[in-house]
Amino acid sequence: MSKPSDLIHGTLDLLILNTISLEPQHGWAIARRIQQVSNEVLQVSQGALYPALHRLEQQGWIRSDWRVTEGGRDAKCYTLTRAGRTQLLKELEQWERMSNAVGLVIRMAPEASQ
Amino acid sequence: MNLRRSYDILRLRWRSLVRRGQVERELDKELAFHLAQQVAENIAQGMPADEARAAAERALGGLAQIQEECRDMRRTNHIETLANDLRYALRSLRRTPAFTVIIVLTLALSIGANSAIFSVIQGVLLRPLPYPHPDRLMRIYFQSDTQPKFPLNPNDFRDFRARNRAFESVAAVTRHDVQLSGSGEPVMLSGFQVSAGYFHMLGISPARGHEFSTDDELDGRGRSVILSDRLWRTRFSADPGILGRTLTLDQQPFIVAGIMPPGAHHPGNNFHAVADGETVDVWCPFDFGADTNDRFSHFLDAFGRLKPGVSREQANADLAAVLAQMKIEQGGNGWRVYTLPLFQETVGRTRNMLLLLLGAVGLLLLIACVNAANLLLARGSSRVREIAVRSALGAARGRIVRQLLTESLVIALAGATLGTLLAVGGVRVLVACLPAGFPRAAEIRLDSGVFAFTLLVALLTGLLFGLVPAITASRTDLQQSLRESGRGATGSGRQSRLRNLLVAGETSLACVLLIAAGLLLHSFVNLLRADPGFRPQQVLTASILLPPEQYRDVARRVQFFERLVATLEALPGVPAAGVGSDLPWTGYDGNADGYRIEGRPADYQTMARYHTASPDYFRALGTPLVHGRFLTVRDTADSPAVIVVNEAMANRYWPGEDAVGKRISFRGKPEEKDWIRIVGVVKDVKDQPDSSWVRPAFWLAYAQEPDRGMSVVVRATSAPSVVASQLRQAVRQLNPDLAVGDLRFMDQIADAAFSGQRFALFLVGLFAALALALATFGMYGVISYSVNRRMGEFGLRMALGARPWDLMRLIVGQGVALAAAGAAAGLLCAVALSRWLASLLYGIRGADPVTFAAVALLALATATLACYLPARRATGADPMRSLRSE
Repeated sequence: MSKPSDLIHGTLDLLILNTISLEPQHGWAIARRIQQVSNEVLQVSQGALYPALHRLEQQGWIRSDWRVTEGGRDAKCYTLTRAGRTQLLKELEQWERMSNAVGLVIRMAPEASQ
Repeated sequence: MNLRRSYDILRLRWRSLVRRGQVERELDKELAFHLAQQVAENIAQGMPADEARAAAERALGGLAQIQEECRDMRRTNHIETLANDLRYALRSLRRTPAFTVIIVLTLALSIGANSAIFSVIQGVLLRPLPYPHPDRLMRIYFQSDTQPKFPLNPNDFRDFRARNRAFESVAAVTRHDVQLSGSGEPVMLSGFQVSAGYFHMLGISPARGHEFSTDDELDGRGRSVILSDRLWRTRFSADPGILGRTLTLDQQPFIVAGIMPPGAHHPGNNFHAVADGETVDVWCPFDFGADTNDRFSHFLDAFGRLKPGVSREQANADLAAVLAQMKIEQGGNGWRVYTLPLFQETVGRTRNMLLLLLGAVGLLLLIACVNAANLLLARGSSRVREIAVRSALGAARGRIVRQLLTESLVIALAGATLGTLLAVGGVRVLVACLPAGFPRAAEIRLDSGVFAFTLLVALLTGLLFGLVPAITASRTDLQQSLRESGRGATGSGRQSRLRNLLVAGETSLACVLLIAAGLLLHSFVNLLRADPGFRPQQVLTASILLPPEQYRDVARRVQFFERLVATLEALPGVPAAGVGSDLPWTGYDGNADGYRIEGRPADYQTMARYHTASPDYFRALGTPLVHGRFLTVRDTADSPAVIVVNEAMANRYWPGEDAVGKRISFRGKPEEKDWIRIVGVVKDVKDQPDSSWVRPAFWLAYAQEPDRGMSVVVRATSAPSVVASQLRQAVRQLNPDLAVGDLRFMDQIADAAFSGQRFALFLVGLFAALALALATFGMYGVISYSVNRRMGEFGLRMALGARPWDLMRLIVGQGVALAAAGAAAGLLCAVALSRWLASLLYGIRGADPVTFAAVALLALATATLACYLPARRATGADPMRSLRSE
């Protein structure tokens, strides 16, 4: 089973939702964009991306439709649903809380050991 | 929000299920697009085309795996898997039709039996009584040291009704059959007199008209009647205009006050089961009469509806307080109040028998399960290769277990479907065979509850018999089974141990059932053998009710019956005829007052059944005289009062003395004329053939205590049908307006009295026979399988000089050892369970050595039989072939 070992567990959904919150995009573009925006730090493996997209769609957070790309090919594009937008806000908030908390712990740790 | 989201989700699931092909194509297309983009990017970075493609495919990883994971996200895959498993199960079951048919049929039989018995239990024991808030309905009785349940006195009842605070309403009824005449042949109607508000207390009301008020209870009023729906339809062709019209009942005018709706149940009575359900034709008001001082005659069946929130104990205490007050006002007597739920009173006596039947069918189902498990195990070992191949191809163990379980569930559901069909017929047969007077028989049917029960049983059954074989099969050693050729691919030692265990278990369960059946059989034989105290053969009985107005003068009653008996006895082929207040074994209303014995203190506790009889009543019934004399025609209204008692009464109150010549009285302070002399002692007759004791009883001379309603008993040597018409003719000659009711032969009555035992015996016997057949079949299967596996070994043994007899002994010994182990376990269980059965047995203890020995022998004998055929086959083993093949 290919798990997103290069991503913190559970953040892939957040990244996907956030990426398509600006405009509808297909799978390839989503992977590309995450990679570019993170300065090539976050590598989304396709093995994780597509199951995640399908899961999010089945959960009703995103919706898909077929569009023609600039290159003239049919691509499956994913759009955030209204429910998905709410979900994104919730996950963002949770992420903030978590990363703040983790940051606090990490910064505190060396002082405590001294 | 989530309406939209739910809609999205549902649409997707539906699409994945129904438009599976399109969804799959889209998935392919999506991944292909991704691949193409990657390839294009690689080329743009300067890779050659073929390298660019290879790199892209590498980056994407296992395509099939991604697809599978995407499919998993659809959440519909378990449905698809199920569909696949089902298809596969059906295919593999079709491949072994004999196996499938046998297993489905045995399951169908036992599931069907369970559904049928459960529908009886559901209708009788589980469904609440058909009244609103039935749990608040109570029966109210008196109780004393000698009488567990005694009817109420009318005036006592009125005091309870006026003074109690625990009940919303109370009501009382008493059996009161009437004769309907006017149009056509007069008929006897089964009827009750009821106090005001009786139906209201039950929570039902007439469909037309109204029920009786307290005005109707007054002395000399009460000339109104409520008809049952059945009578209204059959006799008055459902004419609504009948309301307010006048009917002739007992040759008196009665105004029709109401008509009950269909299915208005009259609650049954423990003594007179005849009052169950819709067998009641008419209800008339109970006339309390003018005598407000009588506190001695007890004949009212009392009911009450508790106020909400009042418990049975509180109600009991409340009535006890009223009774204590009444004692202060009227003087003491030994009665206590006893209330019990109407439900318990109505169906309580059937509980043990129904639970016995449920236990029996439950055991039968368990045996069928074990049998099915055994067959599946045997089949599993012949499918070892198939399963090994499947797991070699990557099927996970859980998948294989799931696949095999699907198979057993399919079998169980097929069995349940067929079983339900059997139950549809079975319930009809069951209801038709129910013992006489079985309560709530009309409410027994297959309904959604029974279907739910059947489905549940089927699922549990499928899991129960499928799980062990499935796990065993999935645990097979992959390597070994693939390596071994077809010949050796059989179960391991562990597996044959498991199968032996199952067969022994099956035998022990069957033994438990056989013992139950054997005990019932032994008890039934005891019942048939017991001396009933009368000779039921060739006796015709009937009931005659003289209308009150025409026969207000008691001398006319005596005259009527004397003439009737004389006419009958003058007939050729009628050696004896008589009349009595009732017949043996027809139930008894508990009317057994205390009496005073001459020379004993006034508070001496006595009780006995109260009857009246004409001189030849005993001779007609065939009840022998033990001592003294029978009643005679010289015992008239003017001669000294005399009485005949049974042996039980003589022995209980005059032990070691001669009861003949002793005197008793029903008066508190008897004068000389109030003493009644015992002139004879007759043989005991029990209340019911299976009663555990004989109740003391006495018979007053009919001429000295004449009643209006009597049972006629005619002993005949000529053809019974001729006697029946002669009886009708004799009555018509004396009074053309009289109906002859309840024409029955005494052996029919005796038959009905045995029907409960016969019913239980028949069903438990049937289930036990099925169980034995299944166990024998299971034994045959296991032995036959083991013989097949060991044919080579047997050939070698023969080559080494074993005789056929030795092989026989070896194989039969194996079976008998299994059966003996099973039987021993079964007998031990039966000892524990038989105590519980004891209440249904007559004349034997639960641990009856005869039955136990017989069942053990039977188990061993059938095991020997089951082993015989496989053993015969073993003796035909060819030594040469074994030698060659090894």
